[in-house]
Amino acid sequence: MKILVCIKQVPDQESRPTVNKVRTWAGYAENASYWINRYDEHAVEEALRIREMIPGTVIDILSIGPERVKSAIKRCIEMGADRGFHLFYDRDDYLSPSIKSRLIAEFCKNEKYDLILTGVMSEDIMSGQTGPMIAARLGFPSVASVVKLEVNAEKQSVQVERELDSGHRCSMEVALPALIAVQSGINRPRYPSLSNVMRARNTEIKEIRCTGSLPASQYETVEGISEAGSDRAGIRLEGTTAEKAAALWQLLHEKSLI
Amino acid sequence: MNHSIMIMCEPSGDRILPVTHELIFCASLMADRYDSSITAVLPGNIAGADAISGADLLVVNSPGLAQYTCEGWEKAALLAAEQIMPDIIIIAHTSAGYDYAPRVAALLEGGCITSVAGIEFTPDGIRYRRSGFHGKLDLLYKAEKTPLVITVLPGAFPAYDQPADHGTVSYIAADINPLYTSNLQFMIPDQSNPELEHAEVIIAAGKGIGKAENLQMIREMASCFNRSAIAGSRVACDNGWIGYNAQVGLTGKKVAPLLYVACGISGSMQHIAGMKDSKTVVSVNRDPDAAIFRYSDICIVEELERFIPEFIREAEKHRA
Repeated sequence: MKILVCIKQVPDQESRPTVNKVRTWAGYAENASYWINRYDEHAVEEALRIREMIPGTVIDILSIGPERVKSAIKRCIEMGADRGFHLFYDRDDYLSPSIKSRLIAEFCKNEKYDLILTGVMSEDIMSGQTGPMIAARLGFPSVASVVKLEVNAEKQSVQVERELDSGHRCSMEVALPALIAVQSGINRPRYPSLSNVMRARNTEIKEIRCTGSLPASQYETVEGISEAGSDRAGIRLEGTTAEKAAALWQLLHEKSLI
Repeated sequence: MNHSIMIMCEPSGDRILPVTHELIFCASLMADRYDSSITAVLPGNIAGADAISGADLLVVNSPGLAQYTCEGWEKAALLAAEQIMPDIIIIAHTSAGYDYAPRVAALLEGGCITSVAGIEFTPDGIRYRRSGFHGKLDLLYKAEKTPLVITVLPGAFPAYDQPADHGTVSYIAADINPLYTSNLQFMIPDQSNPELEHAEVIIAAGKGIGKAENLQMIREMASCFNRSAIAGSRVACDNGWIGYNAQVGLTGKKVAPLLYVACGISGSMQHIAGMKDSKTVVSVNRDPDAAIFRYSDICIVEELERFIPEFIREAEKHRA
């Protein structure tokens, strides 16, 4: 079985984004820390579990972004993935999921994957589009927000359970090849083992330059960015920890909440 | 500019869910501005559908559409779009919407903007607002290609409420059958949690509590209040710190207590959707830019492990 896991590298959620001069996108300081999008890490783990059940499975990792995303790809290899592919793109602007999915679908055409796994969305932008769009462009079925997955190699299908609204769930069988966008909670991602860390040192990440082949047409653009507005006129408590604790008690007491 | 607007109804069995009327409200704002037609598309297997207010109803009728499948809804949307030729397709950002909407956009080679929270009009057309960068920034999007597919967050618009304004009803007899999806089964896991559902005060823990042991201080803080319960964000539940029956958010429970205290919760849209109707919201987070502060009445920038024990001491002092 041949599996592709598409991952995104995202900034630490406590980092402060800086909006660019034309207010069309935001970036982060040079020393900001990045990690693998949490949902995608679950997708990598799920691929590793499938390989444990179906020996001979090959797991490829793919990510789009600047040089730094190589470290996220490497981390997936340290977790146990076999090969890494880096679609190099280093412009610090909005890259539409429509374009990302075209680039990835193009890549997939030569590789013939049985299963593509992604996270259900990215932690930072949360648009949740790239996965389903890749599937649509390849003519694959896709299922978003999957919390349980089992491959049936004989039937060339996957049995999945997906989350619906308000805690309901739905299970179904989906024919392969397919794309599954996993929700957190499907598994607990493992830590890299020493042997895989050693192996990753010698595993080359293949870089593919895609800036030249980007489709010229834009699908949608970001025209303005502002500080997020407030839904409530919140007050910020000031002072020492003890003063804040006393102030909070007082405010809650005045509202008869304590 | 004369728009043609297509809405995808959010059905559940042969009932249209209320969020559909919010989509119609959103479309009516555009229609008032651009003199557009609004067509609501209902995928299903329905003989006699009732007219709805604010839009013409187009039923895509096929036995294979009796239940939601991604491929079925996608085909129904594409079939209807062929007839309607929409400039914009509006879909609810629900578990069905985010499953198939991006596929429809890709197959129509149109633009796509998901989880839209608001729209704005400019002399140069419509802009779509959604939040990004961990909820810290508001982004304003512009469509560059038609048709544009948007998914709208439930609750972002009020329901369209002009009962006299009924549209026409028409049908497309289709033969849509899922080719890749089979053995559909729906489940409702038992996630009941009466204590949380009836609580007047909820102390909720997020990723920021860091480890399971710190749940003890969350419990102790809860015991400072009457009729209180503890809850968790998705991450807290995924990490096994708190049971899923105490998860607050879009995929968990919606709560509206008198007091909601968010401890170490960053404030993703998914979480906010579950607690935004709380009467008073207090947030404790060490990140001064955390999105949760936008939805809070009282904001405290502090390390939880320092602040919560201090608050418990303060409460005990008054109790003594």
